[in-house]
Amino acid sequence: MMLGKHLASRVGAVVLGGLLLSFFPGCGGSPPATFRLNMEGRSPDQFSAEQKQLVVDILTAAFGTPDDPYIFPETGLDLEKLRIAAGPTYSEAEGVRHGLFRQHCAHCHGVTGDGAGPTAAFLNPYPRDFRKGVFKFTSTGPGAKPTTDDLKKTLRNGIQGTAMPSFVLLPEAEIEALVEYVKYLSIRGQVEASLFLYLENEEDLPESRDALLDEVLLVSNQWRDAESQIVVPDLKALPPRDSSEELAASIERGRALFRDAKTAQCIKCHGPTGLGDGNDEGDLFDDWNKEKDPAHPELWALPKQKLRPRNLRLGIYRGGRAPADIYRRIFAGIKGTPMPAAGKVLKPNQIWDLVNYVLQLPYEPSPNRPEETTKLTRARL
Amino acid sequence: MPVEFGPDEFKTNERRTIVTRFWIFLFLLVPILGVGVFLWAPYAGVYLPQDVSTHGHKIDHLFTFILLLTGAVFIATEVVLVVFMWRYDRERNQDPVKFTHGSHNLEMVWTIIPAATLLFIAIYQMNAWAEVKIDRPDIPPTLKVTARQFEWRLQYPGPDGVLDTRDDIHTVNDLHIPVNEQILIHLESDDVLHSFFLPNLRIKQDAVPGSTIPVWFRATEIGAFDLVCAELCGWGHYKMKGRLTIESREDFENWLEQKRQEQEAVQ
Repeated sequence: MMLGKHLASRVGAVVLGGLLLSFFPGCGGSPPATFRLNMEGRSPDQFSAEQKQLVVDILTAAFGTPDDPYIFPETGLDLEKLRIAAGPTYSEAEGVRHGLFRQHCAHCHGVTGDGAGPTAAFLNPYPRDFRKGVFKFTSTGPGAKPTTDDLKKTLRNGIQGTAMPSFVLLPEAEIEALVEYVKYLSIRGQVEASLFLYLENEEDLPESRDALLDEVLLVSNQWRDAESQIVVPDLKALPPRDSSEELAASIERGRALFRDAKTAQCIKCHGPTGLGDGNDEGDLFDDWNKEKDPAHPELWALPKQKLRPRNLRLGIYRGGRAPADIYRRIFAGIKGTPMPAAGKVLKPNQIWDLVNYVLQLPYEPSPNRPEETTKLTRARL
Repeated sequence: MPVEFGPDEFKTNERRTIVTRFWIFLFLLVPILGVGVFLWAPYAGVYLPQDVSTHGHKIDHLFTFILLLTGAVFIATEVVLVVFMWRYDRERNQDPVKFTHGSHNLEMVWTIIPAATLLFIAIYQMNAWAEVKIDRPDIPPTLKVTARQFEWRLQYPGPDGVLDTRDDIHTVNDLHIPVNEQILIHLESDDVLHSFFLPNLRIKQDAVPGSTIPVWFRATEIGAFDLVCAELCGWGHYKMKGRLTIESREDFENWLEQKRQEQEAVQ
């Protein structure tokens, strides 16, 4: 006996509906991913539609699309790695995963690497916008790009105190693919910026391969050169740290230097006791925010965000807690922020004294705000 | 006379019987599939993960005991449901519904039996609970685990053996412990509720902001296992994953020393 016609048609409708629903995300009409044109801070009609299209075409010729990246082989970047990191997320039968950037990074850093992914607006500090080509925590000198190892380290350790998590459990090959892709997005972003500069100056855009390659190499060579620009901490100036007295003496010298408003000037932002309360005006911004005009928030993807000087008593060191990391931080500054490169002003032994003081800070009571260092945890022990 | 409803084609008794029977069989599938999945799971390797702890068998025993108990009640309830649907369908029961004020004895029975069962479970599990959550070993902490959106920050005491001093060794997501030793973890949270979950050690403990919560266990096998967050803690909860490496005391110390040297690097 057959089921009632009514019931059969209802069951049929439910089954069909379910099938349709399950198919939609896969083959529905979501368009292929595209790079967003960097119009931040520019009014939408500053350039004509033809000019914008020309920029898009040139960028596509030089860099491909998010699903199918390209890079001139002359840059030394590995296109195979880019292909693993780019595109939609899927796994090959052999277990090789693709689309790593979209799986792990894009929701904060955006498909374009503009630091304006869907979750970006909730974060402080904002995710890095790679397009400026500026990265905060590097082992290289002032103004230099990070090395491959610097970016790997950031991926592995995360950046404590920010929303950047650790990816230490990813296989080495995936970390390398992601680092290559970050470089690629950054180079692409800087080339895009220089194309717009040509337009602003009403010059011709580089349209031949050679002209475009020159443009790309201008940026990618900075990345290549970074590998030879690593700051080497001066070990000869390293104060002996074997005995606690020598270390204590170094810490005291560091404390005096920290408060010295003429040379090191740490106190100006980090405050007299390192609580990060030295800048009373609260008018510090990083390079990604300082150019934002509060009168025209619609021109930027994210609202203007203030920068707080680091509270050095929390025991959180965003760029790494090894003495060498902090030495380099003081020597070369934090790129894109008001933290200056003190390598020219301070002698190596002075930097080491500061390093020892900064590493000691979280474990000594704060004279002006003692409650800050009292642990507020309710110990159930 | 029962009230008729629905489209005309439903109104013949024969068709309605078929429809009713269809739903009865559908309901019958619930206990059959429900029990079947549990019988099949251990053979398909999707049952409890490998237990590498000293106390885990007690947790597993409680799990199995409660599963059997609830399973028996589940099967009985489902059978009653299906039998009642079969016996008391409208076609063969044309009499009007009889209302009753209930049975005092029946109510006593279905109150006292579950209450006694719950009381029994409460007493029966006390030793296991005490071992995992109350009888804290009197040793210094092996490490401090700080959960934060969305990673596990780990802090081992340095050479001085004391936590929260200058020589502490900091790592992230990569939890190493020595095998066959009593481990004591101080668990904290930086931001929201998280849950520190080591499936292979049968350890699950909420991390509560503002509290330091002790967690202890003893691992029995060398290997790499999962550390996951078991409390929805935000949009990145899915990626809050770590790795537990259980290793010999010697390997553990070598690893710790290597981390210490990386952290003390001056070059």
